[in-house]
Amino acid sequence: MIEVRELTKRFGRTVAVDGLTFHVKPGRVTGFLGPNGAGKSTTMRAILGLDHPASGEALVGGRRYDRIRHPMREVGALLDAGAVQGGRTPLGHLSWIARSNRVGRDRVVSVIEQVGLAGVARRRIAGFSLGMRQRLGIAAALLGDPGVLLFDEPVNGLDPDGVRWIRELMRGLAAEGRTVLLSSHLMSEMELTADHLVIIGRGRLLADTAMRDLTGVRDVFVRSTRAADLAAALSTALSTGLSAVGGTVTPEGEGLSVRGLDPVEIGDLAARHAIPVHEITPRAASLEETYLRLTEDVTDHASRRADR
Amino acid sequence: MIDALAAEWLKLRTLRSTSVVLGVVVVVVGLMALLAWYAAGLWDGLPPDQRDHLAVSSLPELTGMLGSLCLAVLGVLAVSGEYATGMIRSTFTVMPSRGRVLAAKAAVLAVVAFCAGLAAILATYALGRLIIGDRAIRGQSAEPLARQFPLFLAMSLAIVMFALIGLGLAAITRSAVAAIAVLVALWYVIPLVAFNLPAPWGDRLGSVLPGALAGELAGTGNPGSVGGSLLSPAAALAVMVAWVAVPYGVAAVLLTRRDA
Repeated sequence: MIEVRELTKRFGRTVAVDGLTFHVKPGRVTGFLGPNGAGKSTTMRAILGLDHPASGEALVGGRRYDRIRHPMREVGALLDAGAVQGGRTPLGHLSWIARSNRVGRDRVVSVIEQVGLAGVARRRIAGFSLGMRQRLGIAAALLGDPGVLLFDEPVNGLDPDGVRWIRELMRGLAAEGRTVLLSSHLMSEMELTADHLVIIGRGRLLADTAMRDLTGVRDVFVRSTRAADLAAALSTALSTGLSAVGGTVTPEGEGLSVRGLDPVEIGDLAARHAIPVHEITPRAASLEETYLRLTEDVTDHASRRADR
Repeated sequence: MIDALAAEWLKLRTLRSTSVVLGVVVVVVGLMALLAWYAAGLWDGLPPDQRDHLAVSSLPELTGMLGSLCLAVLGVLAVSGEYATGMIRSTFTVMPSRGRVLAAKAAVLAVVAFCAGLAAILATYALGRLIIGDRAIRGQSAEPLARQFPLFLAMSLAIVMFALIGLGLAAITRSAVAAIAVLVALWYVIPLVAFNLPAPWGDRLGSVLPGALAGELAGTGNPGSVGGSLLSPAAALAVMVAWVAVPYGVAAVLLTRRDA
């Protein structure tokens, strides 16, 4: 459980985080979204006691981070995969971290295997790709087997295989009852990984909501050679109150966009009227669309579209 | 604290700068042996009545002086390397007590500096005696080790002091370049300035500079060098402690206050 309460952080005159309040609950992956400069990294650094907030507080498991005796055993974090000294080996890097928090040597070996770096455990980090450094950073976060995990852009630099690995890892960690806070700019990836979303812009909270509330089913697309007949049948069904009020049927290309009826109802209805149907596709609003709409007004570095 | 010490020890041991710096110290000792061999050759080639004109600086003291700079650079790199890469944030994430991290770093560095310094000085002494033998070259003390050991010990403490000054400066400036620039000023430039100050100020400044303290602490003073000899051993020890405590204290306050 992470609790951020009225957190404010200024850098000179710039307000990076502005009275931000949200909770990250265990047992689910919470996505942390916001445009560049929204204050995501600053918030994460404040949670970890690296940045001192001007006011407000961030608590992990009910305590300030710097009051935790062996923090790695309770909180694991990957903030910046590049922040390692290249002269060391993964084994050397993880060994000092393990020793500082009284984590056993066997754990070092097992996390190295878990993240797939066993083959390069004794090679110098200097020659590693960004993806390998990400894996090393994740290994460090997992080292103390913590109940709370924070990851800042962990999929940067990973190949598709690695991206999927991260997704499954995050979901697995949450399924074990851990608290997982994950920031990323990749909306499609976030849509697949996160259960809950915290969206911020200019240091303020824009949304704190379940993923399904942002990306629910928008409409159903139906394609038929007798679209007009089908439209009439669907309209009748809707008006006779078969389904929810406020449903609509609008022509769209070779087919229809239907709101207020689900695919099963549409299919049954078409069968009853003996109308051939070639496609029934439920369509969801993508996270990207919703996100862009939410952050439109607070994007500092937006690229202006040509038609505006 | 034990955990922090063990972690910082592992870190220093696996830091590449450590092996590089200690390698340079070994090279310094080798150079001293070469210098001894060269001096011995010169001495042998001179007619006996001219041998008195040949003077060579004390080799262990040269090692102490160069070793001070090497270990001070290691002190700088032990901290600045973490800032340069951003690893300092990993360090403060796994060990949130920043005062404890600084203390552990200082303690581990002090032990390494003392051992490396003393070993290099003793090795230089032994090689020097072995190569020079009973040639009475001026500047080379033929006194037995037991008589010279207090000075060697004081020189090793001075090396520890330099290393900790480097550590403190790096924690304050967060930059290797800035810290090493200040160090070289303390090690070389300011002593030169002191040497050129009018009496009695040259001697006064020269006596409290880091480079002069080992001689004063051992009670031998600094004959024939830039360093002054005004301080008593106790006063020299106090000044040595102050040279460490001031940058360390400033660093400790800044580390806790600043964002990492």
